[in-house]
Formats: sequence, structure tokens, C-alpha cells
Amino acid sequence: MRTPVHVLSVVSASLLLLVAVAVHATAADKDTLVIALDTLGAQVMDPIMDTRAPHAHYHAPVWDSLVGFDFDKGGIGPGAAERWERAADGKSWTFHLRKGQRFHNGDPVTAHDVKFSLERIMSPESISSGAAALRRAVDRIEVIDDLTVRIHTKGVIPHFAASLSRAVFMEGTVMPKKYIETVGTKGFREHPIGSGPWKFVRSVPGDRIEYEAVDYPHWRGTPQFKRMTLLLVPEQSTRLAMVRTGEASIASIGPDAIKEARAGGMKVVTVPGTMQAIYQFWGLYRPEAKGSPLTDVRVREALSLAIDRQQIVDHVMVGEARWPLPFTVYRYSIDVSIPRWEDWAKTALRYDPARAKKLLAEAGYPNGFRMTFWNTALPGTPFMVQIGEAVAGFWEKIGVKVDMKTVEWGVFDPMGRGEQKGLVGTATMFRTAGRPEPSPRYVTSLTSKGVQHLLGDPNNCPTICQEADKAYEAVVSERDDAKRLAATNKMIELVTNTWVVVPIIEGMGYWAVNPARVGQFKPIPGRHEFGDVAERMPRPEQKPWK
Amino acid sequence: MQRYVVRRLLQSVLVLVVLALVVFALARVTGNPADLLVPEDATPEDRANFLRVLGLDRPMHEQLVVFLRGALHGDLGQSIRYRKPAVELFFERLPNTLTLVPLALVGALVLAIPLGVLAAVHRGTIIDRASSALAVLGIATPSFWLGIVLIYVFSIKLGWLPSARMGGPAHYVLPTISLGAFLVAGMMRLVRSSVLEVLDSEFVKLARIKGLSQTVVIWKHCLRNALIPVVTLFGVFFALLVTGAIVTETVFAWPGVGRLTYEAVIFRDYPLLQAIILLKAVIVLGVNLGVDILYAYLDPRVRYA
Amino acid sequence: MARVQQPIGFDVGAVAEVEESVERPLRGELARLPWTSFVIIVVLVLVAILAPIVAPYSPTEQSLPDKLLPPAWQEGGSAKHLLGTDPLGRDVLSRLVYGARVSLTVAACALLAGGGIGLAVGILAGYVGGRLDGFLMRVVDATLTFPTILIALLLTVSLGAGLRTIVIAITLIIWARFARVVRGEVLGVKARDFIALARVHGCSHARIMAVHILPNVTNTFMVLLTLHIGFVVIVEASLSFLGAGIPPPTPSWGQMVADGRSHIASAWWLSVVPGAAIMLVVLAFNLFGDWLRDWLDPRLRQL
Repeated sequence: MRTPVHVLSVVSASLLLLVAVAVHATAADKDTLVIALDTLGAQVMDPIMDTRAPHAHYHAPVWDSLVGFDFDKGGIGPGAAERWERAADGKSWTFHLRKGQRFHNGDPVTAHDVKFSLERIMSPESISSGAAALRRAVDRIEVIDDLTVRIHTKGVIPHFAASLSRAVFMEGTVMPKKYIETVGTKGFREHPIGSGPWKFVRSVPGDRIEYEAVDYPHWRGTPQFKRMTLLLVPEQSTRLAMVRTGEASIASIGPDAIKEARAGGMKVVTVPGTMQAIYQFWGLYRPEAKGSPLTDVRVREALSLAIDRQQIVDHVMVGEARWPLPFTVYRYSIDVSIPRWEDWAKTALRYDPARAKKLLAEAGYPNGFRMTFWNTALPGTPFMVQIGEAVAGFWEKIGVKVDMKTVEWGVFDPMGRGEQKGLVGTATMFRTAGRPEPSPRYVTSLTSKGVQHLLGDPNNCPTICQEADKAYEAVVSERDDAKRLAATNKMIELVTNTWVVVPIIEGMGYWAVNPARVGQFKPIPGRHEFGDVAERMPRPEQKPWK
Repeated sequence: MQRYVVRRLLQSVLVLVVLALVVFALARVTGNPADLLVPEDATPEDRANFLRVLGLDRPMHEQLVVFLRGALHGDLGQSIRYRKPAVELFFERLPNTLTLVPLALVGALVLAIPLGVLAAVHRGTIIDRASSALAVLGIATPSFWLGIVLIYVFSIKLGWLPSARMGGPAHYVLPTISLGAFLVAGMMRLVRSSVLEVLDSEFVKLARIKGLSQTVVIWKHCLRNALIPVVTLFGVFFALLVTGAIVTETVFAWPGVGRLTYEAVIFRDYPLLQAIILLKAVIVLGVNLGVDILYAYLDPRVRYA
Repeated sequence: MARVQQPIGFDVGAVAEVEESVERPLRGELARLPWTSFVIIVVLVLVAILAPIVAPYSPTEQSLPDKLLPPAWQEGGSAKHLLGTDPLGRDVLSRLVYGARVSLTVAACALLAGGGIGLAVGILAGYVGGRLDGFLMRVVDATLTFPTILIALLLTVSLGAGLRTIVIAITLIIWARFARVVRGEVLGVKARDFIALARVHGCSHARIMAVHILPNVTNTFMVLLTLHIGFVVIVEASLSFLGAGIPPPTPSWGQMVADGRSHIASAWWLSVVPGAAIMLVVLAFNLFGDWLRDWLDPRLRQL
């Protein structure tokens, strides 16, 4: 048995040596922007193969989108197309591409690439999130000249252009036609090129993706760093540690880490309007829910009045959240009268436990009642569970016995589909992700043909459900901007009065930034991910933090 | 001997087949990948398309046939999430875990041997109990918490070590400690009991009678023999760590198989999950089989047991 | 046969061949009883049972303005919350007390279920032997190729997180470990003369297993039980870390440590207090288990 002991002593000696030698191994490389993320999604370098959030992290650096962002206010703005117009009959859209754009192999970006990309995204093998919607919307695509492309839609779609913006989905991604046709899908995924400000270098599964800045001026901003690395670091405490040691320049965090980050001398960048935390009631129109206190609108309003939203903002969200507007309405929303709804939110969403109790008494429940509350967090916003806990706590305080069930999203999500068996007659946490137009989200949640059909389904559509369907139809078929604004406001009003889907707070995207590694920068409102921001991040010496 | 080996091999294959069926069923009970990969406001058409592209809309028995036929040819299907062959993904990540595990084993042993010897020599005294208590601390500390505290102290406060990810030698120190800590107690018990056994044996008594000093007796005569069970256990320890590093890999952002497993479960990536569990089982069963055959070879009685 | 044990946690080591257990005088051993451990265990059990009386507050009662108060002895702490408060302003002491209940319930249920199954399978396999033994041991092998955490994760994502799920998961993994050790022991017992004698006297197999084999493996079983308690608590904690533990708002120690981990620098008490509780309990049960083992059967010291 000589060997094991011998080997052991050698190995243990070298282990000790390791500890001794290890002195701040990763010296910070000033030319590389390192961003530590909680997810890299599927890490497939192909825009048709991933869904929204991860896409905006790691696809956005490489590819441009036909329609871009309004960098200041959020919402949509010029992208690869510098302008676009809708035809008089509303049934076609003409996009004018910027001049001088090129792919990383030098090929120019043309209207042919745009047509090819849209068709590729609509192809059967595409699993990108809005592909089905695009298939339904697009009739045919016509190349007018090298820089002009016209998309003919099936019917009138007032906000068709918005759906081609990365602010909403990634369906507007511009891919290189000639290159993909030459190297094939496999070749493209192994070495993808695009027209964005960062060139793809390498992807190590489960670990990182590396990029290199283009060496020419780019319309999205010319990167100030030579390289960029996106790291996959699943544990939040570790991400924060890496920013503090300088191993990463920026890390995604949750509100629970804000205090810790600031205490460590880090800067916290918040992105307003990325999400709205809400709660909603399911299937109250169904016969199974008959007799439930929750079917009484006074009870539902009482539950909202019982919540001290300011406390949730101040304490759960550490001050880094905003008072919400109505369901899925953000400060950058289009077709909505923001000031009107800000006023509404101030009074309607106030904290008034006395009135809450009075409403409960009027409804016949002076001593409260029992209710089931499903608490869950959607991917990317784990703090929803804490908000849910806080909400349940407030309900308990007006005498409601809350039977809270916390479940993982993968378990919760199937319950909301089809029969919605476990959910009928209960409340659940939910969220809406920030996007400029409210109407698509109203379809998903509220219309009878929608996924969640909270107000009624096609077989059982009570008055309020029929009204909601009509209100929605009025919005999407309206071609006149002013009239559409009025219709949207009406739709929102109808829904707010039901108290069936109720906003809790408007959440933000949270990032910890090491001020010695990267200078002060401005995120795009409503866009949590930094895939469209990194190219405008200055070096620390260029714009030191205030 | 041959018959024994053949029998054991057949048994292992049987275990694998049963496991494959269980895993196939289990994976599908866990939920639907569409729920995790399709955004919350996707339409039913989006979901349907997603499932169709991935072949998950086909009837269960058809999926099973596809899976089993593929498995026979060493093809365990494509990962739903990564769109790559599952086997390839597993072997891409395996080396990362394989570099970490031996270090954790050796690190644990470096602590366990002195503690075990100390405990055995001072059997029943306070030293025995204290070293046992020290070893138990390793299992009494949740390893994720230990990892995070280590990062806080050694990376943030002292700045001695990098906090996470693979890299140079320094990157191995903290994950090694965090992964190895829970092994110390088990190994220490093993060392302690085998040292006790050897201390009782005739040749040690003889050595004592010959007037050799206590230290020499222990370190020269005892330890070597006492290490035999520890060393034979290495293979098994090893296989278990390979499969059990989920937590450590999560804390230290280590792109190993543990992390891959976790993601396969959370995202209901059936093909990947099936592949991981089967391939891991092959490794563990292989190690067990190797050990058993070795024993059978060394000790003929086992063959007929 | 030197079947190799699966070495997670405690049940490490080749199975000791059990011979006549050496009865020791109880009085002498009582003197060596690890009193500290014993007291810790008794207090813990009492606290868990009497949680509603002992805890100063409800474990789920929130008061957001009082969030993250440090323990009483630290600056800014108050006597109202001896161990401080968590991010939702809940009293950490009360959560710790109720958490003891949850954590101990999980441990007790899982160990009794898993241990019981393991005991039965072990006796059956060891006593009957032959094909049944081969089959059962292959099942044990297969079970042990699944890492504990993975089983628990799989169950959680299919059944949903909760006390029941964790108990089932731990049962599923623990039975195999118990079965292996018990089987090894039974092999030893079976070879002894009194079993053959009982056969000659016309005892049925069932009776032999129940009357002659079972009492001879009870010692090992007890020791395995005490030594696995820590394992269960830690598994529960790791599951919480991976987001598959006892779901909030019910407090459990593991979940408290896991939730407190993002506040290590700014609110250390959130993870250190429950972490210390876990350590104390695991340590106490282990020392107690060691004593029990030495007392019941010194030959088992490898366990």
C-alpha cells in the first residue's frame, strides 16, 4: 500500500501550495465588459431558437432588429429601419432601411435579408415566441428596392410595426440571407454573424458567451470596450460577489440584494417599467365558483384596499419600484392617457383598511372569510414570491384567512391552461412583462378566447365578458389614432372596475454595477436586459459615477 | 469466474433497462417543457407549434419507441432546450466535474486521516469526541451556505481567491472545500474504525513488543493497512460526487454535469434528463461492478455467494 | 462478502459482521452519556411540541416597517425581537421555533417510513437470500445511483413542493441505505447456530424473521436512525436552496438558511441563527448516536 499514501501526500502538498499561490488570480481586464447573468437561456446562437428574455441578453448584441427602441422613454423607435409608414388602406407597411449597414462578414444589409429573416422566423421550425402571431399577421413580403421592403398584412393591424421591435418580441431580427444560404443552419449556429455592434466569438455551454466589438461606427452606438463576455452565474450571492471583486463589471440582481450591493460600494442601476406584479382571480364566472365571497365585486375591491402598496414598494422592493398604473399599462404605453390613469391609480389603489372592512361587512363578511391564494414567481422575477407573501399578510390583517400555496412556475403554469381546475375561485400572483401596447395582454388574460379568459370563456360568457370582448375588438379594429386612444381607455376602464386583475406594484430590472469597471450609463426604460445597452456603456474614466 | 462476471453484467444491463423506463415515465410526470420555454403570454398556437417542432405532440408510446430505438444506438435524443444531442452535452460538461471531484476527495482525505487516527488512538477520550464533532461539522453545514460564506470571506473580504467559475488553480480551492466538507465525517469514521481494528491485530502488538515507538507503529504499520478500505471506497465516493455536485456547481457557477442535471429538471428537458440519469447510472453501476468483480477475483467465496 | 457501502453522510464502511452483541452494564454507560447532546435533543423536542407556547409571535405575522431588525444584543436591536426580524418583518425567534417543528416532522416521518421499509427489505433480502436477495439488492443499487437531491427535485417539480414531497423523496433514498446495512447484518445473524436451531424446532420463516432476526438488528437500526437525522435536515436545506424546499410562508430551518443567504453581509442573523441551530442539532444527534452505538454494540463503530 505504498502508493496511496505517497500519492496522497503529494496531492495534499500541492493542494496547500494552491492555497498559498492563489493571490487574486483574475486580474481585471480593462478592455472586457463582463456581465454576470442568472440565465443564458438555451444558449443557442440562432434567433429562431429562443424566447424573449434570454434572447434580449445574448442575441441582441449580435443582431439588429428592424424596429428598435426609444432609448429615452422606452417603447419603440427607429431600428435597422430608420422609418416606416402604413399604407392608406392600413393593410401594408413600408420599411426604409438605414444606409450603409453591414453584416460582420462585410455583406451589406438589404431588403432581401429582411424578407428572408421574417420568412425564416415564420418557418415551421421556428420556436420564437411571436412566430405564430406573425404567421397570422403577414400575408406576403415584397422587396421594393435594396433598402425598401413592404409587408402586406392580413387585414388592418394598427400596431404591426411595434411587433417587429425588440421592445416587444424578437421577430424583427435581421439575419444574413446569403451567409445562411451558404453555410447552412448548422454552420450559422456554430458561427453566427449579424449586423449588430458586437461580433460573436465563442459560446461555452453553461458557462459563457464571448463577443468582440466591431471596429467601425455603429448606429446603435460604437462599443467602448474591445470585448464583452456574458457569464452564466446562477446564484445571486455569487454574482454579487463577482461584481464586488471586479471579476464581473455588472450583475443582474433582485431587490433583496440591493442593500447588500450598495453596502459593498456598488452602484445599483434600476430599469423602470420592466414588469408589473399583479394578482388575479380565476374562473369567478364559472358555476363551481358560485357562492364564493370573491364573486362579489365589493369583496375584490376590499382586498385591494387592504394592501399598503407603499410599504411593499419601500420595504419588499427597497424603494426601487413604482406605484402601478392599471393592468399592463406603463408610463411608456401607447394609445393610453397616462395622466388620467396616474390619477386613477393614486386614489383607487390607495391603502384604506377601514373602507376595506366596511366593504367586507356590506358584502356580508364582517368577520372575513377563507380564500386560497396561489403564490408563484415567473422566470426572471423570483421576488414575486415575497410580494405575494406581503400581500397575503395584508389580507390577513383585515380578517381574511389566506390559505397560501407557493408553487414553482413549472407546476403553476399548466394549471392556468385548459380546464384551470385547481384555480377556479382562487387568487394567484402573476405578472405582466413591460411592453408598449396594452391590448395583446388583454387578449391573453381577459377576452373569452384568450389563454386565461378570466371573465368568461366562449361557452360561458356573461355580460361583462361580452363587453370586454367588444371593447377589445373596438381597440384593434380602429384605424384612427384618436379614436383608438378613446377605445383603449374604455377597455382599461371596464377591466379596472371588475377588480379581477389588480396591479400591486410596477417592478424594475435591477443590476449591480462595479463603478471601477464601467462608467455611468442609462438603461432603456422597460427593457430589463442589456443586450441593446452594452454598446453605449462608457468606460469608468469616460463617465465616472456621480 | 466467467459465469459470475456474465451474471453480474446481465444484472446491470437489466437495471439499466428498468431505469430507462422509469426515467422515461418520471421525466414526463414532471411537467411540460413548453410551460418553461414559451413566454407566459404566448398563444395556444405558439405552444402547439413549440410542441410539434420538438416531437412532443406525438403519442407517448411513439415517443417511447423513438427513445428506446435511439438508446440502443447510443443516441439519447436532442436536448429540447439546447437543441444539441444530449449525449454530447453530457460529455461536454463531464470533464469539468471530473476535474473538481478528485480534488474534493483528496482534500477531504487530507483532513480525515489525521482526525481519524487521532480519534482511534485516543479512543473514548475527549479527543475522540472532539475530532468526531469537528468532522461532523462538515455535514452539519449546508454546503451552499458554506460556499457562500467562503466566497464572502476569501474573495470579498480578504481578496485572496476568485469567487467563482472555472479558471486557474486558484479557482479550485473554494469549490473543493465546499464539496469535500461533507465527506470528511464519513471518511474519518472509516479511518478511525480501521485503525482501531489494525491496532488490535497481532502484528501491531508484536511491533509494540519489539519496542517501536507509538508514532512509528501508528504511521508505519497501522495507517497503511487502515487505508485499504478507504482506497477501495474511492471509486464509489467518486461516482457519487460526480452525480451529487449540483449544489456546489450552482454556487460556484461551475459548468459541470450537476448544474446540467438541475437545468434539465427545472426546464423539463426530457431527453437531456433521460440521458444524464442513464449515463450517470452507467458510471455508478460500472464502478460498483468493477469493485464487485475485483472482490470476487480476490476472494473466491464471493463467487458462489 | 465485502459489499461496498454507499458513502453519503454516515453509513460509510464495510458492513461489520455482527456477532453476539456485547451487553454492557447500563450504569457505566450512563455516566458516559453525552449529557449536553441529550439536553439539546430533549429541549428541541419540547420546543417543537410546545411551539405555540414558546414562540413570542406567530411565525407568519408580518410587520414591514420592522423588517431586518438585528438581534437584541446588537445595536439597533430590540428586546421585542430577541433574534431580530427577517425582510418581511417577521420574528426570527418565532420562525426558528416553528421551524424546529417542521424540520423535526420531516426528519421523523422520512426516517420512520424510509427506515421501516429499509428494515423490512433488508431482513427479507438477507434472510431469504438467493434470487430475491439478488433482485432486491439490484433495486437498491439502482436507487442509489440516483442522487438524493435529484430524486427530490424530480418529485418537487411533479408533485409540487411541500412537506409531503420532501418526506417521500427522502424516504425513497433512505430506504436503500438502510436496506443495505440491515441486510449485511442479517447475513451475519443468519449464519449463527440459534437460527438453525430454531429451524430444527419447526419455527416458521416468518416467525424466525420477526422473533430472532429483528431483535438482533434493532441496535443497528436505532443507530442508523440517529445518525441520519442530520442528513435529512441538510437535504431539506439544500432543496430550499435549489428552490424545491418547504414552500413559504411555513418556516423550516433549511429554508431560513437558504433565504438568508443573500443577506450574509448586511443581515448575518438571517442565515447564521438557523444555520447554528442545524449544526447544534446535527452535532447533538451524532454524538448521541455515537454513544448509543458504543453502548448497544461496539462492533458497529464504523457506521
